[in-house]
Amino acid sequence: MSLIRIRNLTVSFDGQAALRGIDLDVAPGEVLGLVGESGCGKSVTWLAALGLLPAKARITGSVHLNDTELLGASATTLERVRGGRVAMIFQDPASSLNPVHRVGKQITEALTLHQGLRGGAARAEARRLLDAVGMPDATRRLDAYPHELSGGQNQRVMIAIALAGQPEVLVADEPTTALDVTIQAQILDLLQGLRRDLKMALVLITHDLGVVSDVCERVAVMYAGRIVEEAPAERLFAAPVHPYTQGLLGALPPIEGERRPLTAIPGGVPEPSAMPPGCAFAPRCPQVRMECAIAPPPLTRTSAVQRAACVLARDALVAA
Amino acid sequence: MTKLLEARDLVRRYSMRTGAFGRAIEVRAVDGLSLTLEAGRTLGLVGESGCGKSTTGRLVLGLEAPDEGAVHVEGSPMPPAGSLAWRRLRARMQMVFQDPLGALDRRLTIGTQVEEPLIIHGRPAGSERITALLLEAGLRADHAQRYPHELSGGQRQRAVLARALATAPDLLVCDEPISALDVSIQAQVMNLLMEIQARRGMAMLFISHDLRAVRQVSHRVAVMYLGRIVEEGAPDDVLHAPAHPYARALVSAIPHPGRRGQRILLSGDPPNPADRPSGCAFHPRCVDAFARCRVEAPALRPRTDGRLVACHLAHAAELEKVA
Repeated sequence: MSLIRIRNLTVSFDGQAALRGIDLDVAPGEVLGLVGESGCGKSVTWLAALGLLPAKARITGSVHLNDTELLGASATTLERVRGGRVAMIFQDPASSLNPVHRVGKQITEALTLHQGLRGGAARAEARRLLDAVGMPDATRRLDAYPHELSGGQNQRVMIAIALAGQPEVLVADEPTTALDVTIQAQILDLLQGLRRDLKMALVLITHDLGVVSDVCERVAVMYAGRIVEEAPAERLFAAPVHPYTQGLLGALPPIEGERRPLTAIPGGVPEPSAMPPGCAFAPRCPQVRMECAIAPPPLTRTSAVQRAACVLARDALVAA
Repeated sequence: MTKLLEARDLVRRYSMRTGAFGRAIEVRAVDGLSLTLEAGRTLGLVGESGCGKSTTGRLVLGLEAPDEGAVHVEGSPMPPAGSLAWRRLRARMQMVFQDPLGALDRRLTIGTQVEEPLIIHGRPAGSERITALLLEAGLRADHAQRYPHELSGGQRQRAVLARALATAPDLLVCDEPISALDVSIQAQVMNLLMEIQARRGMAMLFISHDLRAVRQVSHRVAVMYLGRIVEEGAPDDVLHAPAHPYARALVSAIPHPGRRGQRILLSGDPPNPADRPSGCAFHPRCVDAFARCRVEAPALRPRTDGRLVACHLAHAAELEKVA
């Protein structure tokens, strides 16, 4: 039974499609990675699901959290879900936090909203949360302003605020992209630890395949507003089916072995206004065929655990 | 190997004020750094934000004058910035930045911007020359008429590269040239840089926080921490058997498919250059630190295998091996 069920989700801005039909499930307690390059719709998927897009966005499809439909839900329903059952953290913690309030106040605010805690009880809980996210000297840091903390510490504060609602799912949108490598390692370690201890699901949105392989159990690869491949992490890295996934892996500089030119994917992502009628990846695909230009290939199951939106997937199925 | 550029004991200090009435604090962005760039080879400079790698790039080009130490180009000292000799030298040393949109003028066409250095330095210009440069950087001839906002991020970085190559430089300083690009485009730009180097034989200083990218393009790698080089050697040596504890942590923190859960977690944040720890700057975060590390800063010294390391312990371990 999935915790979150997204079906045929589409989003368009001013008539230009940003999401072109997403089907995605998140099981309780799992770590799902959502990878893709900028503009592929990986963040828009979750902003749309939580009703965080501006009014001009046109959204269709359905997003279920257990039995609750979130698309078109009332403001009160959404307010209970957001920060309560589904929490989200973003790339740049400094701009997500309010610069003129002490971090302690920002954490207690979330505790008051979602757990009804006030005064000393809220402050004690805020201190406990800061401790839980590995903030050194938590008691003193409650009275710090965001500018007095480093980027990694601010991200820890954001995670503490996200945990204040005791969420069932934490959606982390590029949580370590703005951080240094050694701090990234600390934050990824923290997220994995919290997920284990609190038994919450984690959705990690990232462009970094290395981060995905480190943390995620299952991965969905997105390209131009669609999911093009979905598989368990190990399977995806060992046997990618979609040429785009293969290209992304080939573009990653290896850390050992002989150094040779990287197999870069030629060209760039098509503009939303000039999306090809068939497969969006066809103009860049080294294995393109005639039929790729006709219609976008559906997400086809190639094994019990792997799906890919490519004509090659159908062939793999026939061969197997 | 011919030495193109040599920097010795560079120190660059900035003064920083805390608050409107605060006392001026001295910040050593670069603190006794030496490096050599060889003709036709690439030195990769890695480190985390604030370690002084970009300042090093600016010092090497003479865009900033060091407070101590000196930069020598082909044996002669770097002329003062703005002087005629420096301008002439700058035609031979170019820079590529992280943000191509910021490095390009939005109101001029790509062609005009690529031609500009040719005119400034009195080289033969004209549309044929521009086309050749655009093609070399992997753009099309018709991109000359476009404006920066009409190009994608990867194409803009190619335009910046075409402009940098216009005066046929002997040295290209690339400061985080791929950090702002998507993964598939990063690979294109890295391949392009290596192709151009193979064809033209220019030297490169490749500044990046991404060790994987640095390994891909560099002949030598230098790891920086708080204004100093802590380890320098061949990319594969540094990546596979890092000798400095900081380099070890940095290498283990690279997320890479098929390398799960062997990270060395450093405690704490990179220290503030304004509040430099005594002795070895890394000792508060180092698991192996001992008494000497707190009082005496280790010098960057060669080991028997030719690698340069600034760590008391790494050298002691080697002595033990010999004994």
